[in-house]
Amino acid sequence: MRVRDTHKETLVRQNAITMLLRDGFDGFSMQKLAKACGISVGTLYIYYKNKEDLIIRLGIEEGSRMLKETMKGFSADMPFAEGLKKQWENRAAYWLKNKEAVRFYEKIKRTHYAEPILDEITRSFKPVMHAFVKNAIANKQLHFMSFESYWSVAFGPLYTLLEFEDKGKSVGNRVYKFSKKTMYETLELVLKALTP
Amino acid sequence: MHILIFKTNIDTEDAHKEIGALLNAETSIIDWNIDQEDIDKVLRIESRINNTTDIIHRISKAGFICEELPD
Repeated sequence: MRVRDTHKETLVRQNAITMLLRDGFDGFSMQKLAKACGISVGTLYIYYKNKEDLIIRLGIEEGSRMLKETMKGFSADMPFAEGLKKQWENRAAYWLKNKEAVRFYEKIKRTHYAEPILDEITRSFKPVMHAFVKNAIANKQLHFMSFESYWSVAFGPLYTLLEFEDKGKSVGNRVYKFSKKTMYETLELVLKALTP
Repeated sequence: MHILIFKTNIDTEDAHKEIGALLNAETSIIDWNIDQEDIDKVLRIESRINNTTDIIHRISKAGFICEELPD
């Protein structure tokens, strides 16, 4: 009888992410993945139904892990400034520790695989973030604005800094290293813009 | 539950339908799919029992290649 092996599952997951980042979604196949993992194609199909099943499940796993980390020590009833600070700290910490997984998740978000993945992982995350914003507006800690304006100001600057870190360079080829100092400095400006 | 994996040549829509009807009629089979994108047209079956030999026999009888893919 075929048995599941968690070591093999981890090996498959890591190799799949590396291959998908290197070869893209079209260049990826179950045969190539099995070869890279040193396992038979038959074994790979024990874990996953097909390429699509594999990509979607990897996306759900990585996305859930990311959102779980993002929500650590955070709650919807936190004062707005404190809550946003926690979100920034958690998001930055996760990004810096899991660069390959983040790149994979960002890439998958731009494909047709995104919909089932986002449906699954944002189910528990969305209501909490929604309540956080609603509380903040009710408590006059946040200006009322469209969701897109809110999100791009609240989180856009953080991801710009993290992308600079990823490249090691900021605008005009300036050498850049992400630091808590620049993160908090930027966050302070964001809070100024968002709060009454 | 048993997961049974086969290499096949079930590569057309008609063949897929024919084998599908055969597998759907089998009460021990919980779920199945054929990865049409894969070179081996891998047939994956989730079954209550290990009926590997029986499945190979029935698909071969229908005129298709069906071999168990080794672990």
